[in-house]
Amino acid sequence: MSTLHVVSHSPFTDSRLASCLRVCGTEDAILLCGDGAYGLHNAALHTKGLKVFVLAEDMQARNVTLPDWADSLDYAGFVQLSIDYDKVNTWL
Amino acid sequence: MNTLTIGSRTLELDKDGYLVDLNDWSTDVANVLAAAETLELTADHWEILELLRGFYAEFQLCPATRPLIKYTALKLGPEKGNSLHLNKLFNGTPAKLAAKLAGLPRPTNCL
Amino acid sequence: MSKSLLVISRQAPWSGPSAREALDIVLAGGAFDLPIGLLFMDDGVFQLAPHQDAKAVQQKDLSANLQALGLFGVDDVFACSHSLAERGLATPGSAEPLDSDAITQLIDRYDQVITL
Repeated sequence: MSTLHVVSHSPFTDSRLASCLRVCGTEDAILLCGDGAYGLHNAALHTKGLKVFVLAEDMQARNVTLPDWADSLDYAGFVQLSIDYDKVNTWL
Repeated sequence: MNTLTIGSRTLELDKDGYLVDLNDWSTDVANVLAAAETLELTADHWEILELLRGFYAEFQLCPATRPLIKYTALKLGPEKGNSLHLNKLFNGTPAKLAAKLAGLPRPTNCL
Repeated sequence: MSKSLLVISRQAPWSGPSAREALDIVLAGGAFDLPIGLLFMDDGVFQLAPHQDAKAVQQKDLSANLQALGLFGVDDVFACSHSLAERGLATPGSAEPLDSDAITQLIDRYDQVITL
């Protein structure tokens, strides 16, 4: 079963993204939103080879550049992604 | 505010009739609370009330029906730890009513 | 068959309501016979530390509550071994330690996951 992990905290002040990466399965994906978008500055995110998505508006607001290993999406895309994966694990 | 008067003492009850202060509880209080529910406490009742107070002392929470049955079976055996016995004793709502009579808060996970 | 639920509790016991809320979800689910699992991870493993004194900070005794999990029908209780080691905590008797790969598989097994 595939899981979509939603992370909304910056990895530079918080352990959520690091913990998430530790337990992510190969079929899983990570969606960054809010300060989670700063995660795109985090090299560790890329090296795991997971699918990475970021909410476009949160990325724009923070002037974070989209690297070629991630995809951006709007809220409609977020909803579609939640359906595409078997379950959503939001790291509250 | 609901109150309960026993002799010269006036005890505070919450809106559902549970004791506000757990330390107010005594066997007299239990008898008066039971009478208000048209229940006369027998040895079978007291056994469960004591058990429930033990549960609360050990786990710091008030059990819903299932865990109460399980705990009763564990401590008193399956002939008492079943829903029939407990429902009969406490008018069909053992977790809520027994907690009230034992002077404990309303069961937290009884939705 | 109802959907199975895994609750991941990753906040320290006295830092806010999260630890209590995670436990409440698990106890409520257990009381209704939901297939439910509980995983302590990150600072959440501090909830399993021995000899805590809730009264010192005027809180309800979470450790005592945790001992009731079995009676509420919650037998699948796990702790992240990485988080335990990171914090110098011994393996608790009340939770089965799991490494990161085992946690990946654990999350995979459940229908739904709530992380608090």
